[in-house]
Amino acid sequence: MKHYISRVGQLVSLALFTASAVALGPARAAMLDLDAPAAERQQKLIALIKSDAQPAEKALALKQLAICGTADAVPALAGFLGSEEFSTWARIALEVIPGPAPDEALRAALTTVQGRPLIGVISSIGVRRDPKSAYPLITKLRHPDAQVVSAAAIALGHIGGDSAARALEIALAETSGATRSAIAEGCILCAERWRAEGQAAKAMALYDTVRKADVPQQRVAEATRGAILARGSDGTALLLEQLRSPDKAVYSIALRAARELPGTQVTEALASAVKQLAPDRQWRVLLALADRRDDAVLPAVKAFAKDGPAELRVTALNVLEHVGDTSCIPLLIDAATVDDRAVTQAAKASLASLHTGNVDAELLRLLPQAAGKQRQVLVETASARRIESAIPAVLRYAADADAGLRKAAFEALATLGGPKEMGAVVDLLKSATPQDRDALEQALLAISGRSGAALAPTLMPLAGHSDPSLRAVGLHALAAVGGPEALAAVREAVDDQEPSVQDDAVRTLSTWPNNWPDDNGIAEPLLALAKSGRKPMHQVLGLRGYLQYLQGTKNLGNDEKLAKVREAMPLMKSPDQKQLAAAVLGAIPAPGAMEMLVGFAGDADTAEAACSALTALAVKDAPEFTKDQRRKALQTVLEKSKNDGTRKRAGEALKKIQ
Amino acid sequence: MSAIDNQMNRRRFLKRTFPVGAMLLAPQIVAPSVLGKGGGVAPSERVVLGGIGIGGRGSYVLGCFLQEPDVRFVAIAEVKAQRRQAVKQMADTRYGNTDCATYRDLRELLARSDIDAVLIATGPNWHAAASMLAARAGKDVYCEKPCAKTIMDSLALADTFRRTGRVFQAGTQRRSLPNFAYAVDLARRGRLGKLKTVHAHPAGLETKMSGWLPAETEPPKEEVDWDLYLGPAAWRPFNRRLLDGFNFEKGGGMVGGGCLEWGSHCVDLCQWANDTDDTAPIEYERKGDRLHARYANGVELVVRNDGWLPLGSCPVRFEGETGWVETGDNGDLVASDDALLAGKGVRISGYPADFHVRNFLDCVKTRGQPRANADVACWSHITCNAANIALFLDRKVQYDPKKNEFINDEEANRLRGEAWREPWQA
Repeated sequence: MKHYISRVGQLVSLALFTASAVALGPARAAMLDLDAPAAERQQKLIALIKSDAQPAEKALALKQLAICGTADAVPALAGFLGSEEFSTWARIALEVIPGPAPDEALRAALTTVQGRPLIGVISSIGVRRDPKSAYPLITKLRHPDAQVVSAAAIALGHIGGDSAARALEIALAETSGATRSAIAEGCILCAERWRAEGQAAKAMALYDTVRKADVPQQRVAEATRGAILARGSDGTALLLEQLRSPDKAVYSIALRAARELPGTQVTEALASAVKQLAPDRQWRVLLALADRRDDAVLPAVKAFAKDGPAELRVTALNVLEHVGDTSCIPLLIDAATVDDRAVTQAAKASLASLHTGNVDAELLRLLPQAAGKQRQVLVETASARRIESAIPAVLRYAADADAGLRKAAFEALATLGGPKEMGAVVDLLKSATPQDRDALEQALLAISGRSGAALAPTLMPLAGHSDPSLRAVGLHALAAVGGPEALAAVREAVDDQEPSVQDDAVRTLSTWPNNWPDDNGIAEPLLALAKSGRKPMHQVLGLRGYLQYLQGTKNLGNDEKLAKVREAMPLMKSPDQKQLAAAVLGAIPAPGAMEMLVGFAGDADTAEAACSALTALAVKDAPEFTKDQRRKALQTVLEKSKNDGTRKRAGEALKKIQ
Repeated sequence: MSAIDNQMNRRRFLKRTFPVGAMLLAPQIVAPSVLGKGGGVAPSERVVLGGIGIGGRGSYVLGCFLQEPDVRFVAIAEVKAQRRQAVKQMADTRYGNTDCATYRDLRELLARSDIDAVLIATGPNWHAAASMLAARAGKDVYCEKPCAKTIMDSLALADTFRRTGRVFQAGTQRRSLPNFAYAVDLARRGRLGKLKTVHAHPAGLETKMSGWLPAETEPPKEEVDWDLYLGPAAWRPFNRRLLDGFNFEKGGGMVGGGCLEWGSHCVDLCQWANDTDDTAPIEYERKGDRLHARYANGVELVVRNDGWLPLGSCPVRFEGETGWVETGDNGDLVASDDALLAGKGVRISGYPADFHVRNFLDCVKTRGQPRANADVACWSHITCNAANIALFLDRKVQYDPKKNEFINDEEANRLRGEAWREPWQA
């Protein structure tokens, strides 16, 4: 069980820190042995905490009595309640040991313990919710220490019941100063318990007392929430009143209560009230309404989405994404065609994400029968939702007279189209207007990228088209499908009769995408271009592509790559080409690469690229290099580089080697 | 491009290219009026933020907040002087002034009425206590994970935020990342068939107890306030080795941190995928070096460290009757069928928190519930803590999520909570 520590092991780990501090006493073994009978462990732990053992041992023993302690351990535990150091350790056990003994001990401690530990005792009584402690705690509400009063108020709140609530209510009326907040909180806790137990009237009265009292804003807010919820559907009026409150805290909690108070009547009342609110509150209340879960929500949201004031309408349209269903589709389509950008965006976003009901089927049903701008909205929605069954309709709309609809269709084809659509898109391209060509090319490239080398023959007619610009599109698409056949066609186009197509072919080859290492065949044409390209720019692009190929390919060993870089060296005429070569060498873990880079480091034009590459090679403890080789490389970097970051890395690596 | 530009572009990109899973990841809707003309923020819509306990992780999350145009960070409360000053410098540099106030005691910061919300990144020992203090003081809270070190603290956390009506976001930012949301979406929409098993990576299941180290000379309070650092943890003498807030008293009771470390992320995602954000498994048992749990709906939760695809840290895997999906922090998704991944949208690696922070801020304004709200965090932490108890006891335990107690199991029930040191009170 390598990932686990056994129960015993866990306690061993618990004690490890202690072990470094104190010599383990004889009781330690029993303390750690969880498999020993509980009574036996308890006795040994009690003996330990009564002994003169080290404080660390005592603390952990106190805590462990939480596991095996019974009423027998309580007197010993209670002896630590007045200790600032050990009180909490003892209370860990006293809070969880069942039965009346811990309650009695804590109650007794209320009269004997002073100072900060007294607060802990009171807190533990609150955790245990001991009703017999209510009276002694009530007396603490008049304690001179404000922290004790506050702790008692909270503990009484946890205990709850008539006596506690009445005492807190009286204290609230009589007390001034710092403790009022905690006393109010105690009242609210009592009221919360009553509300949970179904005693709504009592809860309501107590909430009302607090919310009308002079207590901190947050307490008023909490009481207001409770007062609304305790009233049930009768709380609607109070809720609406608070939604209009000038007090930000109260208004904020009313927004929360608006989400919690159940009932369709409440929803309807909120919907009616929305328009009467200040504009910056309307949309927030609508959001709260939309978070409710009842049958009145959707009709209300739809009404605002149809003809609400501008910002409210946009919010409602956005909300329909979450609360809407297929019945909202006509409304959303209508909204998506209006002349208000915010409205159309919201409607389209909801159409794209609407998820309740069979939304796709309904959209497919509407797609062929739509008219006007709605067709474009439906095509865009089909694309956004990736409804592949919409492709036949989308292809029809791709030939429509409406330019906006055609554009939407082309973009949908880019998203949805597959190998089956490639021929149709090629045909569309052949007859496309210049305005449509870019969008169609994007669609073709997207489809090509998803289709693979087998589809190259489908593209050949385009690559051989009489129109040079279409031939160029064909070359780009061939690059996207990849494979030997496509590569051969693009290579052939380097000798096209049209110079612009030649340039396109060279650019396509130099960035041949990038099915490396599969398309190994790209190396030879790139090197040929680098050596004897028709134009200087073709040579530059060829060499750049070739070096990038060498950097990326996984089909060549280190020595082969190195040899090819050496072979290409005479072709490198500009600093940037040599810098690229340095980057390639930096990825070849071979001594020869290091040697070449040391040479590059002596040339001002390539020094930084070479130093960066040398550092990359030398920082790794690769088996291909000896320590001397790595050391020499790093020293070269320190000598030649002017880049602080590079020098720092090299310096740190050098230190590790030395 | 600045970091802010980059972030904004990523957000737009996310919104534009993430149609599937939008049900789960849709941003909280905020009306355009929240932003003023020219992208400026109306003063009434500005969120005034304070920080409590900001170290390494906290500084990263604070950076996400500082990038948001509607946030004004005004104060830091931190028990360590060095960190106090570092955070002040970070904020002052951002705003070009020296206005960021510093406090040693979080209560002084929480007493400021101008502060709307706080970022809490103290370390797990303080997370629940500081969050509840903040809520009771009327602040909204973004709190790093793990948020609660016992079952009782988890319940108290949720109860406090419900009662106070404050907004809480657990720092489980994977709830706001597209790859995790997409995987969850597949599970919840039934695209994997009936869900059978959900798998979570816990980043180890070892218990880490802080214990009691030899006393060292306590530094001046201004340098390190040891009493405040201990907070709700039982007293022990000062020792510098315990100042690692990330690990100090990470888990409560006797059971230690266990699977809370990443469980608060990965188990949380499993709960989301299983549509069990409002409950916890009813049975927990160690099987070999894994922890198995079973929900009332029959779905099994497997918490395991091994056997993951290489998809980065914090991976999860969801298995249904007809398919499975797995994803992790590198942003990639792998599924039983590539068709399941059509439309998966943008890939974001490196588990950034900016989307999660934005979701929190939007909810501060709408008073809606963030993605990792207190109830969600409560149940995922209960699951992790119950799992730790099963591991500690080394036997099967059964849990009743309605009563929030182990069934006929006093031994386990004793491990549900741990007393807080005075004067801190749950």
